Amino acid sequence: MSYDTHKTWFFQTVGRNIHLWQYVETSQTDTLAGIRISLPDEYYGKQLIYPDESITAGLRFEGTAFVEPFVNVDPNELNGNDEPTLTNQTSPDEADHVNLSRMLSLACVDYLKSMVADSSGDLQKKEYYMREFWKKVGDDQSNKRRIFVNYPITPFAIK
Amino acid sequence: MTVLEMMERSGLKNTTLAIAFIKDAIHLMQSQVDVHTATWKTNITDGTREYPFPANMIKLKTVSVKDTTDSKYKRIRRITHTPVVVEDTDPE
Repeated sequence: MSYDTHKTWFFQTVGRNIHLWQYVETSQTDTLAGIRISLPDEYYGKQLIYPDESITAGLRFEGTAFVEPFVNVDPNELNGNDEPTLTNQTSPDEADHVNLSRMLSLACVDYLKSMVADSSGDLQKKEYYMREFWKKVGDDQSNKRRIFVNYPITPFAIK
Repeated sequence: MTVLEMMERSGLKNTTLAIAFIKDAIHLMQSQVDVHTATWKTNITDGTREYPFPANMIKLKTVSVKDTTDSKYKRIRRITHTPVVVEDTDPE
């Protein structure tokens, strides 16, 4: 029975894996006839141990993912008044849509131009388009944020 | 925007290469910003410490472990230093 997992579990990234550790202040325990008992030969004190119980769907990762990069319809156009129904295209071709916002699609175009310049050996042009690529990615992110800046008005200010 | 439109705008002629470059661009974006996020769940096994990252995950944001006493996933912290292992039942 796990409890306070945010205080008693830790992880460490090792290559393509994570290592899970459980923090205990007692000795390692075992279950005997439904009762957890402390084993006599175990070290007693603060320690990190391997997970000492099985939890179904107990570990959850959250992250950015490579999901549905190509879809059958334009993800930025409404279907009437509804959100478009997107179907993943596993073998994409020229007619398929890239599942990105308009701004990120334009960033992708800059990336393609950059790669074209790279293959022709024009590194200056490549760098220029990569800068444009990141600029558009940044613009797309700032579109989601509204930042208010307040300035205090000086008392008795004459304007 | 379609793949064809991107190819026309960039002057790229090869479709296979264009699709490969678009995938690269998406990976590059996803490494820096959150375009598409997802969650993955896996079982924790008694006595096993090593769990692989999901295959299609690009950037890790959080790791949570289920608190079975109140059925909630709680975000766990990362340790920066490798602990001294005195008894290792799962050596690598």
